[in-house]
Amino acid sequence: MFYKHVCKLVLPPVLMFVSMLLMSGAPARAELAAPPGVTPPVGTYAGADVAQPIEFPHDIHVNVNKINCMYCHTYARRSKVAGIPPTSKCMGCHKMIATDKPRIQKLTEYFEKRESPKWKKVHDVPDFVHFSHERHVKKFVFDADLPVENVEQVCGLCHGEIKAMTVAKKNKPLTMGFCQRCHEANGGPGDCWKCHK
Amino acid sequence: MSFKNILENWSAFRKDAEAGGHHKYDHRWGMAINLDVCTGCNACSTACYAENNLPVVGKERFEKGQAMHWMRIERFWDDADKQYPERGASYLPMMCQQCGAATCEPVCPVAATYHTPDGLNAQVYNRCIGSRYCSNNCPFRVRYFNFYSYYETWAEPLNQQLNPDISVRDKGVMEKCTFCVQRIRTANDKAKMENRSIADGEVQTACAQACPTGAIVFGDTMDPNSAVSKLWAKHEVKRGDYLSKKPKQHPEKRGYRIFEELNVDPSVMYLERVREEI
Ligand code: HEC
Ligand code: HEC
Ligand code: HEC
Ligand code: HEC
Ligand code: HEC
Repeated sequence: MFYKHVCKLVLPPVLMFVSMLLMSGAPARAELAAPPGVTPPVGTYAGADVAQPIEFPHDIHVNVNKINCMYCHTYARRSKVAGIPPTSKCMGCHKMIATDKPRIQKLTEYFEKRESPKWKKVHDVPDFVHFSHERHVKKFVFDADLPVENVEQVCGLCHGEIKAMTVAKKNKPLTMGFCQRCHEANGGPGDCWKCHK
Repeated sequence: MSFKNILENWSAFRKDAEAGGHHKYDHRWGMAINLDVCTGCNACSTACYAENNLPVVGKERFEKGQAMHWMRIERFWDDADKQYPERGASYLPMMCQQCGAATCEPVCPVAATYHTPDGLNAQVYNRCIGSRYCSNNCPFRVRYFNFYSYYETWAEPLNQQLNPDISVRDKGVMEKCTFCVQRIRTANDKAKMENRSIADGEVQTACAQACPTGAIVFGDTMDPNSAVSKLWAKHEVKRGDYLSKKPKQHPEKRGYRIFEELNVDPSVMYLERVREEI
């Protein structure tokens, strides 16, 4: 009897503590942690490589230089789409940084021609699906009082570990089951017309 | 389950249709249409075409009954009208009545049409297999079937104005008025971002917005302070009521719902046109 209680009440926190200790010492490539209190949706996907006009390295910007996801993907917190930053935003840094690198020279060329690189879409749910970034970011970041530095954990729920990628790739399925399982676990809607249009 | 059982469940469902039947609602969208000020100008219908990506089918297909007008103006000639044609016809804008006890829903073999928690009859296009049972079971004849893939032949500059908030339907799919659910969805997202619920007047359907005489009022009939609820109350039309159109007791009370006697509990109240008796 007593033993059972020990198992139920004491053991899990102890295990959690131990695993947290282990995790904190782990190298940066470890699986991205879910934000606290969120049951992460399960499922992985081996997305194809997408040929981009300029190979944009997320790892250099996010992992090495600690630039926040929402510095570039500004609209994630206030609209349906997260948006890709305009070239002028890149140039805010790259007028000065790494100007000798061929990729940056290409970027500067685009900027001087007043064109933007034609980024290919990596994540693309079908047109009949209504999806809104702001609602999810509000729920998991602002309503949950998650420090904004940790926003990548929230993005990671649906986009995986972008910060470890040299070129963005789809690595979560983003299918109906994937969305719906998370909605069931975390209090999202189950009504068809919330997602289908 | 015995037959008796079914009947009992059915009557229980019908009895508390006013309270929502077996549904739990957050909102119940509804309308009030004042036929007295409707001039039959078709602005609502045109606005609907623009808002909801409706194809213009052309004369030939129209004559075959393949028109896709989610909102249509019906024209009636009373006997007296025929006698005095200069009075003009009576008009009635007709669209999906978003019935509380919809006859289209239970007959769908794949549950592509169902009732949402905000009181709409949803149509999930990608689920629909085009059996057309629903349209055959609709007493209002307001469901339209895509006999062709119109998106392939959408006239050139007009494809630029397709609404991205609603899908462009393909051949083999049933569709109908949605009470501009994309506008409701947008308002809902906005309201939730501001931690409040949708305010009265925040959502307007395309038809209500376009109506030059303001004949169409749209809102949440569950909110007693909304404009539409006040109109329903003023004209003594209630959810779950069998017959609001009682014998004329009062000239001010003109409200009725179409086919109320079928007890489908429509969400649209019409205000009868006042005409001189001849
Ligand atoms: C320096 C600006 C910058 C930062 C910081 C940044 N991104 Fe990006 N992101 C981009 C650009 C530019 C693209 C387009 C190139 C591509 O798709 O590879 C992109 C693409 C993406 C895509 C794929 C878009 C698609 O087409 O589906 C995702 C997902 C994404 N970023 C998520 C993130 C996440 C998560 C973070 C934080 C960990 C982040 N980004 C940080 C600039 C940035
Ligand atoms: C906040 C500043 C900042 C912004 C904004 C920014 N970058 Fe960078 N970027 C850096 C830094 C710092 C490096 C690392 C430079 C180095 O290691 O020499 C870098 C490196 C790169 C590299 C790798 C260069 C190489 O070949 O080593 C590319 C490509 C690049 N950025 C593209 C972009 C694009 C495209 C954008 C706009 C979407 C952008 N960057 C926006 C700071 C920024
Ligand atoms: C709940 C899942 C989910 C979360 C959380 C999420 N995204 Fe997305 N994201 C998606 C989906 C789904 C798409 C594809 C949207 C489409 O095709 O219309 C997408 C697309 C994108 C794109 C491509 C451009 C666009 O907006 O369509 C970028 C960039 C992006 N996300 C960045 C982010 C960033 C940054 C975060 C964290 C602040 C984030 N996402 C959080 C699901 C999510
Ligand atoms: C990480 C878990 C998670 C994933 C994955 C997720 N959602 Fe959500 N979603 C939520 C939660 C929680 C809410 C409720 C937000 C709130 O209450 O404000 C929500 C809300 C929504 C809403 C707004 C519903 C409303 O009430 O207005 C839509 C639409 C939506 N999700 C669509 C999607 C789609 C489409 C996908 C798949 C691409 C998806 N979600 C994936 C957790 C998730
Ligand atoms: C949480 C959001 C969400 C909800 C709720 C939801 N769906 Fe989906 N559904 C999706 C997404 C996202 C896809 C696209 C999946 C993909 O790209 O593989 C999809 C795809 C589908 C498809 C496949 C269509 C095709 O052509 O591939 C059908 C059918 C479907 N949904 C029906 C329904 C029905 C019926 C309901 C209500 C019982 C429903 N969905 C509720 C998100 C949702």
